[in-house]
Amino acid sequence: MTEVFVNMGEISSAKNHGILTTVGLGSCIGVTLYDHKVKVGVMGHIFLPRSRSNDQGAPPGKYADTGIPAMIQEALRLGASKSRLQAKLAGGANLFPNLSLNTISIGQQNIQAVTELLTQHGIPIVGQDVAGNHGRKMRFFVDNGVVTVTAIGKEPVQI
Amino acid sequence: MAKTVLIADDTAFMRMTLRNVIEKNGYQVVGEAADGEEAIALYRELQPDLVTMDITMPKMDGITAIKEIMRIDPQAKIIVCSAMGQKPMVIEALSAGAKDFLVKPFDAERVVESLRKIGA
Amino acid sequence: MNEQKLDFLRELAVIGTGHATIALSQMLQGRMFKLVVPDAQMLPFTEAADYMGGLEQVVVGIFVVISGDVRGYMACLHPLDTARLLVRLLTGQETEEIDELGRSALQELGNIMVTSFLNALSKMTNLLMMPSVPGLAIDMAGAVWESILAGAEVTNEVTVIRTKFSAEGEEIEGHIIFLPDEDDFRKIARQFGLENLG
Repeated sequence: MTEVFVNMGEISSAKNHGILTTVGLGSCIGVTLYDHKVKVGVMGHIFLPRSRSNDQGAPPGKYADTGIPAMIQEALRLGASKSRLQAKLAGGANLFPNLSLNTISIGQQNIQAVTELLTQHGIPIVGQDVAGNHGRKMRFFVDNGVVTVTAIGKEPVQI
Repeated sequence: MAKTVLIADDTAFMRMTLRNVIEKNGYQVVGEAADGEEAIALYRELQPDLVTMDITMPKMDGITAIKEIMRIDPQAKIIVCSAMGQKPMVIEALSAGAKDFLVKPFDAERVVESLRKIGA
Repeated sequence: MNEQKLDFLRELAVIGTGHATIALSQMLQGRMFKLVVPDAQMLPFTEAADYMGGLEQVVVGIFVVISGDVRGYMACLHPLDTARLLVRLLTGQETEEIDELGRSALQELGNIMVTSFLNALSKMTNLLMMPSVPGLAIDMAGAVWESILAGAEVTNEVTVIRTKFSAEGEEIEGHIIFLPDEDDFRKIARQFGLENLG
């Protein structure tokens, strides 16, 4: 079974079989989109909520505002139907809570941005394991849409 | 009767390390504070002979705490123990009323030397 | 980023980490540390975590905010093995899990190393560089790293200074990351007589 690793800022996709995995989700958000009928899966690893003017050459998956539309496009390209897409989220943690760098932590901002964008596109979030103070690993099984999330010292969860 | 010491530092490890050194040399540690606010409160309550004070602490930094303690007790004997050894900071601490400034990491002997000199 | 800027950063790396390792040595009761030449690299940030040994490797990370004349961020990361060794050397405890006292020792060590680094640069430039109370995380390198980058608002390249020290045959690996604000970095360069760097 091919396992594809999705790094920060990347978007990867698969159809029918394969595993899409992203490791080391800290404040970033791992997002999966799945169409269960045609078994099309897309995964993104989003870094920040809004794209920057000084980062023009960035891959679309780096920022939520460019990443979510790019992920949807990729799903449609593989034959998914937008109305059947369902999303799952993992990440958005705050690993350094005592530093209070922002009023709302980057992790929380990412959760909010991604949730808003998915809602705008009419895509329901059917599972999530977000926030907290720990890093996560997210594995997405494209043959059946199952997503498991693991963290150090914690039992794996299926979302 | 042993001289009493209040230790203020935000890490438990440093408080423990200082406590060991200080008690081994005949002083009595009567309190430990994890931030500037706690340092002031414990100073009022315990009235120690000597204080070791870190600078970089949450809630209230050491310089602010030194100023407040000196206001409460102009005779207070405070020794700064901080990693932050940049000149403007040293000057500010001494101007605020600290009697000595030890830059971490320091030897055990250095702490004891300072306590003896200031506490005398 | 050009070669001149990178060379200058390497120079700062040597100065800063030289002092940081002296501090480390003193903390570990004078164990003599041989400083393996610090290596400064400018990497697209997506590669930096791999450069430090892989996204899933568990690391201990200290993160501070710098204020004063120079603003920015600094981080110090160690692989878990090194962290356990440091905890043993500092507290005498030897455990699989790092407990509260161990975390406290690592936080203090990280604080001292980062501050020694900044003290050295401050002395040479007469610029005040004050580190905040540090944050400590023990987690997958990828998660720690991206949290540092997001916190420091780094979106492009990042300079990583990697230092390996060894003492009495024990390998202690540390990665010190210095992320000054662009304008303040130029302030530092100017103090060294380098105008219009980068």
